[in-house]
Amino acid sequence: MPEMKYDDYLVKSRMPLFWCSGCGNGIVLGAILRAFAKLQLDRHNTVVVTGIGCWGKADDYINTNTFHGTHGRALGFATGIKLANPELKVIALMGDGDGATIGGNHLIHAARRNVDITAIVVNNFNYGMTGGQYSGTTLEETYTTTSQFGHIESAFDLCRLVEAAGAPYVARSHVLNVIQLEGFITEAIRKKGFSFVEALSPCPTHYGRHNGMKTAPKMMQWIKENAITLKEAEKKPQAEWENKFVIGKFTDKESVDYSTRYEAVMALAEASVSKGVSEREG
Amino acid sequence: MKDRWEIILSGVGGQGLILGGSILGEAATVYGDAKATLTSSYGVETRGTFTKSDIIISKREIYFPEVMKADVVLALAQAAYDRYAGKLDPDCLLVFDSGTVTAAQNVQASQYGHPFNRLALELGNPAIANIIAIGTIVGLTQAVAREAFYQALEARFSEKPKAAELNRRAFDKGLELAGKKE
Amino acid sequence: MNPNNSIRFIQGNEAIAEGAFAAGARFYAGYPITPSSEIAEISSRRLPQLGGLYIQMEDEIGSIAAVIGASASGKKSYTATSGPGFSLMQENLGVAVMAEIPCVIIDIQRSGPSTGLATKPAQADVMQSRWGTHGDHGIIVLSPSSVQECFDLTITAFNFSEKYRTPVILLADEIVGHMKEKMIIRKPGTYDVTDRKQPACDPADYKPFQADADGIAPLAAYGSRFIVRLTGSTHDETGFPNSKPENADKFIRHYTDKIENNKDDIVMTKEYKLEDAEFAVITFGCSTRSALEAMDLARGEGIRVGVLQLVTIWPFADSQVRALCSRMKAIIVPEMNLGQIIREVCRVNDSGIPVIGVNKVNSEAITPFEIMEQIREVSKCRK
Repeated sequence: MPEMKYDDYLVKSRMPLFWCSGCGNGIVLGAILRAFAKLQLDRHNTVVVTGIGCWGKADDYINTNTFHGTHGRALGFATGIKLANPELKVIALMGDGDGATIGGNHLIHAARRNVDITAIVVNNFNYGMTGGQYSGTTLEETYTTTSQFGHIESAFDLCRLVEAAGAPYVARSHVLNVIQLEGFITEAIRKKGFSFVEALSPCPTHYGRHNGMKTAPKMMQWIKENAITLKEAEKKPQAEWENKFVIGKFTDKESVDYSTRYEAVMALAEASVSKGVSEREG
Repeated sequence: MKDRWEIILSGVGGQGLILGGSILGEAATVYGDAKATLTSSYGVETRGTFTKSDIIISKREIYFPEVMKADVVLALAQAAYDRYAGKLDPDCLLVFDSGTVTAAQNVQASQYGHPFNRLALELGNPAIANIIAIGTIVGLTQAVAREAFYQALEARFSEKPKAAELNRRAFDKGLELAGKKE
Repeated sequence: MNPNNSIRFIQGNEAIAEGAFAAGARFYAGYPITPSSEIAEISSRRLPQLGGLYIQMEDEIGSIAAVIGASASGKKSYTATSGPGFSLMQENLGVAVMAEIPCVIIDIQRSGPSTGLATKPAQADVMQSRWGTHGDHGIIVLSPSSVQECFDLTITAFNFSEKYRTPVILLADEIVGHMKEKMIIRKPGTYDVTDRKQPACDPADYKPFQADADGIAPLAAYGSRFIVRLTGSTHDETGFPNSKPENADKFIRHYTDKIENNKDDIVMTKEYKLEDAEFAVITFGCSTRSALEAMDLARGEGIRVGVLQLVTIWPFADSQVRALCSRMKAIIVPEMNLGQIIREVCRVNDSGIPVIGVNKVNSEAITPFEIMEQIREVSKCRK
């Protein structure tokens, strides 16, 4: 196979990107494709799975195998794709509404099962495609088109959630830390087991506009100012960082993935012979 | 001999009636040349409430798989007995556990009460009351050949020789009771 | 004695699982639900023995998603459920239609709506199986009436799904699913197994939705030498989104046409004593058994009754039923619902003969006597 550069994975004929100006999705897409190139992924052996939402359009720009399914269910499809052929590299691209709100149950179960899938959630704090309604990661007391008096629910800390569910690789970065983000994505894809990367990303068109950050730089600045590294956070009392975006690698451990465990089931099953059955030739 | 038997096995959940019906069906179809159907009616509980299985054994094709006119009813619990006893025709055989069921007076069916549960305990395991009772039914009806029933038991307990032996003794006990009215 | 077959006394649900293995299915994803759970239990034991995979997902939505994904990876895949779970699967059933992914969904119908009576039978998912997912589409639905048909029709369901690149629904019911009966397990080589068509073109030219002359596009698996783009969004031949009206029109019609244009192959019926019949009972699934018993009872009374069993429920047997209406004096349609199949019978009853339903929703099987009662009524009127 000739060496693949990042844009060899890009579907250039679909340009320009569908996303709004100021959206962070293009930055994350770039980081993903550079990670693909770094790992020299074989297009034929790679499946990108998406759900619905702005980020659900990402597969339009990637020329590996793709599966574009339903809202929230990318990990369900990805689980079947991977388990039916454990040789495949399966990468699910989801937004916060898709992957963590309507699809939250699939997320924690995929993590618990430790299926060898990489899940990348771009968190822009709201439902962008449908016009800026609140999601499971919308911050308390912020405004969206459906929390016009201020949001009264608390937001998921997705990394802590997925870590608690048992995923062996969990990391968070944001679109200003693009080198770090690309590194996390590369490690995540390389990881055997369920790996999870959250990328914080601006949505000036909707979330920003309703929260005094109409431009991309303003929203970027807000993300940056509210971010704290995991190392810094560990040194400080919780009260100082609990409302901030903690950036870093939360978990990176070894854990036997589902397909490997299932091989043991198959060995046991093959050794067991069906007995206790009434049957005759006839 | 009749070419069609419609048999109701009734009691409460956990008595092994579906298992008993299954072995009877296997004896009829896999180890015999008859047709058979087995349907069961039960609630959401696994244990303790009324259940019944309908088993039909026939030389002809069986369409409707539920008992339309019972030839044999087995009642291993009072609730089961009470449900059927008054409704049966004179040519029906009503087999019941005489240890747990108080028999009624005005029953038209021929009644065969035996203490299946007590006999099962005497044989060493209360779980085989079902097989003793089915032995009695087979003895009374010849709905399946004894040999076929032995074969079905053997296959079912192929990995558990002790259980196979116990069930065989239970079945023999039931056969022995057939015809004896307590 | 036939060494190619083996005889067993098993449940409909066991026979369905055996049929799936026999058809080459090697992937099951599901969520337990009465009265279908035996299919999951048997699959969990047998699939790993066969080199296949069983997984219990977090819900029915994830289950059908995994089934569709596994099929896209090249494994024949299936799930089993009952009414409530079938309802949860409907959105993703549409993905299988839209992305044209073969898979088999087994619905062991129970009394509803909602939780209803979880252990009791019904035949009320007829319309859900046809129109449960949104949008226009064709669908294949088969309904077994015996344990043997559970085995045989499960194989057929997989074959149709592979041949037409479509989801197929096996619509059974609690009675047939839980009934034990004598059944012949056919040995491999004694029945047909269809595998999906593979592309013969150069990988650079492969378009996953480019239909051949027979109307069906070859489907390569993920991990093959072909790049496969699959999507539930409106797309063109390449699998890329395409929102042009003429493209949407073409593909949406295609999902219906590929099924409806092949009715000669797909629609299966069984006829019982219709040659000399004056009255016919049209039925399906468990009610077929009541109808056949009633047929014999009626003939015992000198009323010439026959039975048409709809083995394929969807697409509907329009021409067979239309022809039957033209030569019967009346038709009786027993079904364990308040009248779903009867609407279809009436739709094609160009002859305008009386069509009478026997409908029962109290969770008990329709008895032969209840059908017989209607037969006596119509035969009196027509004398």
